Amino acid sequence: MRRYFRLYLHFLQFSFSKAMEFRLDFFFKIFMDIAYYSVNILFFKVIFLHTPLLGGWSQEQMMIFVSTYILIDAICMTVFSTNMWWLPYHINRGDLDYHLIRPISPLFFLSLKEFSANSFVNLLMALAIFTYTISNYPYSYEAFDLILLAGLILNGALLYYCCQMLMILPVFWTQSARGFMDLFYSIGIAMERPDKIFTGWRRFIFTFIVPFSLIASFPAKLFIEKFNWPTFLHVIGVSGLFWMIMLSIWKKGLKTYSSASS
Amino acid sequence: MKLWWKDVMAMEFRKIFAYRSDFWITFLGQIFIQLLVTVSLWQAIYQGNEVKTMQGYGLEQMALYYLVANIGMRILWGENIGFISREIYEGTFTRYLLYPISFFQYKTISSLSYSLFYSTQLLIFYFLYHLFFIEAGISYGDLSHLFSGVFLFLLSAMLFLQLAFMIELLALWVDNVWTLMIMVRFFITFFGGGFIPLKFLPNWAQDLLQWTPFPYLIDLPVRTILGLSTQNEMREGFFLILFWMVLLSSFVKIIWSKGQKQYTGVGI
Repeated sequence: MRRYFRLYLHFLQFSFSKAMEFRLDFFFKIFMDIAYYSVNILFFKVIFLHTPLLGGWSQEQMMIFVSTYILIDAICMTVFSTNMWWLPYHINRGDLDYHLIRPISPLFFLSLKEFSANSFVNLLMALAIFTYTISNYPYSYEAFDLILLAGLILNGALLYYCCQMLMILPVFWTQSARGFMDLFYSIGIAMERPDKIFTGWRRFIFTFIVPFSLIASFPAKLFIEKFNWPTFLHVIGVSGLFWMIMLSIWKKGLKTYSSASS
Repeated sequence: MKLWWKDVMAMEFRKIFAYRSDFWITFLGQIFIQLLVTVSLWQAIYQGNEVKTMQGYGLEQMALYYLVANIGMRILWGENIGFISREIYEGTFTRYLLYPISFFQYKTISSLSYSLFYSTQLLIFYFLYHLFFIEAGISYGDLSHLFSGVFLFLLSAMLFLQLAFMIELLALWVDNVWTLMIMVRFFITFFGGGFIPLKFLPNWAQDLLQWTPFPYLIDLPVRTILGLSTQNEMREGFFLILFWMVLLSSFVKIIWSKGQKQYTGVGI
């Protein structure tokens, strides 16, 4: 465990020095994420010009949800996104060979090697938005609710990673993951909408099959509407299941992998 | 030599169909899922407020608005981000300087191929939507709105292409323009009406936007297809798109004349 932690510190050091090589690009990326946050907040602000409630939540409650998914997105962008971008290329070009022979888990290495330094600045910004929203939240809450929300945000980031991996891993069999990745980003919009808008079979899809509503909406719901076991167990259960499915497909994929130019 | 554009188009179509599974996943998955999520959102808003229309849009029209806007944005974006910058970074840009045709003409035709292809997708989805969800079917008026809207989308795509030229050619100076393009797309999507019909913005914001090219890129063509824009708005939109196109293309010329001197031809 300590070895992995030390290795991760090296990844961080390397990523920061690499990011500072291209300073203009570093700042462009920061501005890009600011644009993403602004557009998302503005979207809900405009919606609330025309409705007092959305899915039973007021504007202040909705902002808890918005800042939650912005924070989860920032965590994923910082920790996983660059690695996820390159993973299909590693598999396609046979670069995976080099990672398989290393005395370390290839999944750990390939998922965490590139830490996105510019997104780290945005992560701080997302954290500031989250803190501002919480501190201006007009309804009552307890320390437990906040701790639970923090924990579920981390779980949401992991679930997001699992879902993204599940869209990338077919590359072991299909040679190109572009279509699946485009699909993933399209489904991603479900994470940015409160789960209460989905009813019937749509709700089943977004809470079980492609559980994007569990990433940010359920954690926000547990904070806004207070803790309840069924919702909590739903999040944890589905997250655990997706983690296991992802690991099993990863292992199957490695068995299928036929080295360079596969 | 005269028909070179046909060869370029045929080549681009072959590229689009090269990865068929990707194509079908994108074609069906993306559009279906985005529509599903958006319709769910607006359904909740309409039901929550117990109203049948908002800002002149009924739920059925709102669904069609997003369907058309989503595919319309593909028409607008044309070729993928990096269609010039990637070649500058890799050094393959040199070939355009050697071709016996203008680089801008070549890239315009190549981008137009993508826009035309997505226009066909739009027509297919429009007819399918009417077949399954609109009881009254398609009238002659609907068809005239549809083709006027698609024409406006293609024109907007040419306007966006000028903007894309400007940013992509900055690759002659800077290391990465991908993020700039993404940023521009975010703003166009929001201020152009891709996230929400512009009628929902406060009046002061709508007035302000009239001075920019944003409303003519997505909102106007979509409203035209839905039959919600007047003849005057369409005519005004047409001339304003042309005006912005001429203005931006003059900037492109300046950037190109200076940028050519920066190009080393060996890639970065």
